[in-house]
Amino acid sequence: METGRIVFHSKPQPGLKHMQRADFKKFENWGVVLAAAILLVALPYLNAFTPESSFLHVSNFTINLYGKYLCYAILAISVDLLWGYVGLLSLGQALYFSLGGYMMGMYLMRMIGDLGQYHKAIPDFLVFLGWTTLPTFWKPFSSLPFALMMACLLPGLLALLFGFLAFRSRIRGVYFSILTQALTYGACLLFFRNSLLLGGNNGFTDFKFILGYDLRSPTTQRALYIATVVALLMVYGVCRWLNTTKFGLVQRAIRDSENRVLFSGYAAGNYKLFAYVIAALIASLGGILYVPQVGIINPSEMAPDKSLEAVVWVAVGGRGTLIGPVLGALIVNALKSWATRAYPDMWLMFLGALFVLVTLFMPKGLVGLASQLRAVKERVLRKRQSVNKEMPPAEMPPATAAENNLAK
Amino acid sequence: MNKPHAPFILMLEEVNKNFEGYKAISNLTFYMDEGELRVIIGPNGAGKSTMLDLITGRTKPDNGRIEFGKDTDLTRLNEYQINRLGIGRKFQTPSVYIDHTVSENIWLSLKGTRAVWRTLFARVSPGERDRIQDVLKTVGLSKKAEWKAGALSHGQKQWLEIGMLLAQDPKLLLVDEPAAGMTDEETHKTGDLLLSLEGKHSIVVIEHDMTFVRQLARKVTVLHQGTVLCEGSVDKVQNDDRVIEVYLGKKRKRK
Amino acid sequence: MNVRLPFILVVACLACLTRFASAAPAAADAQVRTNLAAAVLANGEEQQKMLIDLANTGSKIVREVLVGWPRDQVIVYESTNGKLPAVLEDEVDADGKARAIRIDNGDFLKDDKGDILHLSPTDVTPAESDAALRSTIQKALDILALSAPDPDARRAAVQKLGNSARESNLQVLKLRLEKEHDSAVIKSIHEATALLELGSADPARQISAIKNLAKLDSIGSLDTLKRLANSKTNAPVAEAARGAVNSIEQHISAINIFGTLFRGLSLGSILLIVALGLAITFGLMGVINMAHGEMIAIGAYTCYVIQNLFGSGFGFSIILPFHFGSHPISFGLHLPGLNATGLLYESYFLFAIPLSFIVAAIAGLVIERAVIRFLYRRPLESLLATWGISLIMQQLFRMVFGANNVQVNSPSWLQGHFDIRDLILGYNRIFVIGFAVMIVAGTWLLLTKTPLGLLIRAVMQNRGMASCIGVRTDRVNMLTFAFGSGLAGLAGAFLSQIGNVGPSLGQTYIVDSFMTVVVGGVGSIVGTVWSAVGIGTGDQILQQVSGSPVTGKIVMLIIIILFLQWKPGGLFSIRSRSLD
Repeated sequence: METGRIVFHSKPQPGLKHMQRADFKKFENWGVVLAAAILLVALPYLNAFTPESSFLHVSNFTINLYGKYLCYAILAISVDLLWGYVGLLSLGQALYFSLGGYMMGMYLMRMIGDLGQYHKAIPDFLVFLGWTTLPTFWKPFSSLPFALMMACLLPGLLALLFGFLAFRSRIRGVYFSILTQALTYGACLLFFRNSLLLGGNNGFTDFKFILGYDLRSPTTQRALYIATVVALLMVYGVCRWLNTTKFGLVQRAIRDSENRVLFSGYAAGNYKLFAYVIAALIASLGGILYVPQVGIINPSEMAPDKSLEAVVWVAVGGRGTLIGPVLGALIVNALKSWATRAYPDMWLMFLGALFVLVTLFMPKGLVGLASQLRAVKERVLRKRQSVNKEMPPAEMPPATAAENNLAK
Repeated sequence: MNKPHAPFILMLEEVNKNFEGYKAISNLTFYMDEGELRVIIGPNGAGKSTMLDLITGRTKPDNGRIEFGKDTDLTRLNEYQINRLGIGRKFQTPSVYIDHTVSENIWLSLKGTRAVWRTLFARVSPGERDRIQDVLKTVGLSKKAEWKAGALSHGQKQWLEIGMLLAQDPKLLLVDEPAAGMTDEETHKTGDLLLSLEGKHSIVVIEHDMTFVRQLARKVTVLHQGTVLCEGSVDKVQNDDRVIEVYLGKKRKRK
Repeated sequence: MNVRLPFILVVACLACLTRFASAAPAAADAQVRTNLAAAVLANGEEQQKMLIDLANTGSKIVREVLVGWPRDQVIVYESTNGKLPAVLEDEVDADGKARAIRIDNGDFLKDDKGDILHLSPTDVTPAESDAALRSTIQKALDILALSAPDPDARRAAVQKLGNSARESNLQVLKLRLEKEHDSAVIKSIHEATALLELGSADPARQISAIKNLAKLDSIGSLDTLKRLANSKTNAPVAEAARGAVNSIEQHISAINIFGTLFRGLSLGSILLIVALGLAITFGLMGVINMAHGEMIAIGAYTCYVIQNLFGSGFGFSIILPFHFGSHPISFGLHLPGLNATGLLYESYFLFAIPLSFIVAAIAGLVIERAVIRFLYRRPLESLLATWGISLIMQQLFRMVFGANNVQVNSPSWLQGHFDIRDLILGYNRIFVIGFAVMIVAGTWLLLTKTPLGLLIRAVMQNRGMASCIGVRTDRVNMLTFAFGSGLAGLAGAFLSQIGNVGPSLGQTYIVDSFMTVVVGGVGSIVGTVWSAVGIGTGDQILQQVSGSPVTGKIVMLIIIILFLQWKPGGLFSIRSRSLD
């Protein structure tokens, strides 16, 4: 994914790392095309046009499940955009995910109309709290465009404000992580309150319609699933493009040497802020698509644990790449679905152990596993070689003085 | 200490800086002419790096004045604002973007807009391309333009960083121990490079290696306990009793 | 820590406090009995007067009779010698008959032959009681309560009389005041007297009573005073009442402020103990330990286990969802308890404190050796790995102790409270504050006065150099991490006395304690102390002001984020000279 725009020499470049990158890039491109084809075309086709008895049939449940996973994948990309590319470990991305979800949820609540338990024109929980008319701030949410606009504005502005304060005072490293965690924790406490008029600890559920379509019909769910795949591909594309720009270079430069960036005249804080807001919007997009497919949103989605779980997906998949987080989100969540059914009590242990093991033994995640194994193999080979021939190991091309002509 | 004739490029007057009761810089006064190549030496803990931190906005002085060119107060500005004025700094340990190629490293350092929005759509212009090649040629890294900076040797990283500084085309270069970790030959070449820049840029070099200092053979300022102990030619400084006492007398040449 | 010494001290103190009932002078009793017997047989106003006089003696015998009277247990037995008043015993034999005790001399009622009589309740004539008499009896009982041995019971009785709004009780209170020694009761009598005087028709007396109540800061009379302040019958009285209401409300808000500060201080102390461990591990090793919260839980659960070992024992069994052949794999443990009671049982907490430190320290040691030592210099990743550990531990707690909160009882010597001018200071909170001070002092001594402390500081400042001069940095890390975890365990032991103990106990405190460390400045013990106290009290004050714990917490978070704008490095940042 490195930029290839400044090319001075056409001959192949030395450097093991570079070769691997090229291999990986080719693999990634094909992988993405293949995955896109399967997710976007094959699965919905098999769901819609094969009989249920066919072994090729993909059930509505599966489509719904994958829709959920892919929303998580979008969230994972947002975590990785910060962690893998700018070096900012945000432990509060689920907050933006949930905020997007809440805005969508407000629209869906309005769409229930008077079909709720109390058969009133306002959401049930408001009736329960003793309201007879709709609070003013709820009114515009009858419109989906407004809800979507708010789903961009609210997380965007919050990220802008928090990011501005955090980066202005140069909060970085674990401090940034801790503060983002505190932020989502605070928001979680806030949303648990009934007086916020956003459903308290029950949140929003029992949705019925979206844009006039029945949410529970397989067709609507399939359409939402397809929308999620498209959104994921778009997010992937945008992030990939972002990383090829000069902005992307500065972003990764901040990760590797923030001081150098500052002393090169870049306001590193502004770059981080931009990335942080973009990441918040991406997370929010995931939340927007998540709520109609899962059918519920409540404050526990903002609990610090959820954000940390998203970090696990990225770590497992491999940070600093764009397919890593997607892979991680899919695999860990598939594992979770299986484990919570097979061993309901043990799931947390699995997740915890997975996290410990991945951090200890697979710092580059699944994506980096191949190169990690190759490195191990090479080390073993080299050791054998040096034992056999008692020769020093072949290293990088030595930087001889002749190569380093200094112009005078 | 005589106040030099204007125009001076850098001026520190009565600057003080305390760290938790430790006086890193005390009453430091320092003037530098435009186009000058100045070498600063001093034993460990003399406040050399702290002085650079103060100039570049890394730390703020407790009191005193730091001015750049004509009346630009540096104490109110932060790192990138100071850099944009035309003050470049090379760190003691080479600091380059290890994951970027050598030419990308230079590209990011070239003069030009630093605004976030612009970087989203910036491309390498033909002018920039030439400039990158020039710089790489100057620091002798043309053949490694597409190498990852992380794959360079220590000395090459030092040069790359100097190249990044040159790409910024700063008025004032602050170079912290450029020869650290270099072979004698590499050190010598670094010295030649710095000398070739003299006149076009004003340069402050911090150095321990007296051979290197003698090669530069310019005005030397000796820092001791956060203040200027002595200033003058290499010979004058080396024969100064106080300098011999605090520095040369105990430690000959390399520390 | 020597746990025996405090134990022995407690035993000694309790022995001193034990009461020995003193024998009442027999002569006085005889006189009371004679009068009482006469009173039972008397009639009308004379009877009522006699009863009130008897109540004023404060005798136990009077109380017994008066309690039994309305329940028809006081009988009048027609013997050959005339009417004999007696009290039926509660205990009945197989025929439903009971013995009776003569009121005049305390002997059993006997027939002419000298045999003890067994009377059926249907056979006997209960002493008469009409409505007027019952109300007199009740009044007499209230007066009797005034002379109860327990000061708290006496105060309750005084307050009851004060609220009775019957001016006739003034005389009773006055009589009691002459005999009373307990200062709290005396204050209550004054309060009750003034409260009764409020009902007087004389405005001058009312105003003087109002002034007295204001002087006494009587919270109990606030409602009555408010009513008077709003009544329009007498302007000067209402005026005085308004003044008194103001002054009492000020007193209440003062109590609230001090109460809040006190609760804040005790919360701050807990935060301090938690954050101190975190500050040490992070300051030394650059490791953010997300499992620190679970170390708190370990400490709290250790208390629970120790408590059960002193009681009926502790056991658990876990059935794993895996099978070996057809048998599910399970394991369990049962430890018999000491079945201790009383003093020994109460002392369990003294053993639990050091053990909670030790158990958590061992857990920390294991975690450090197994995981964290591989992650030094990778702080972000250590944060993630320790979160994984925290998940595993939470699940373990659920499996061993159940998903619900467990009950950890406070020993009785932590249950009481000081009462300073209506301000209630719980012993448990005072204990926590005192202990926090000791722990901070201990940590400070450890870091500055011991060889280990010297090594710790050396490694903190320059790991590489310390290792070069022969410090076994590995071992120092291990011990420091264990020490930090142990402190968390201690915090857990104290938390078990103040709040609930459950599997997610640690999670409640972890965000707060991280904030404490960040605000205090990482690596600074002094900073941690100030920030813990500040955040603890700030939290309580904001809760008080905003009226809701949640809002208080959120405002606190916002304040912390803004604070970091001003001082990004925390209160006491360790500023470094070097750049990279």
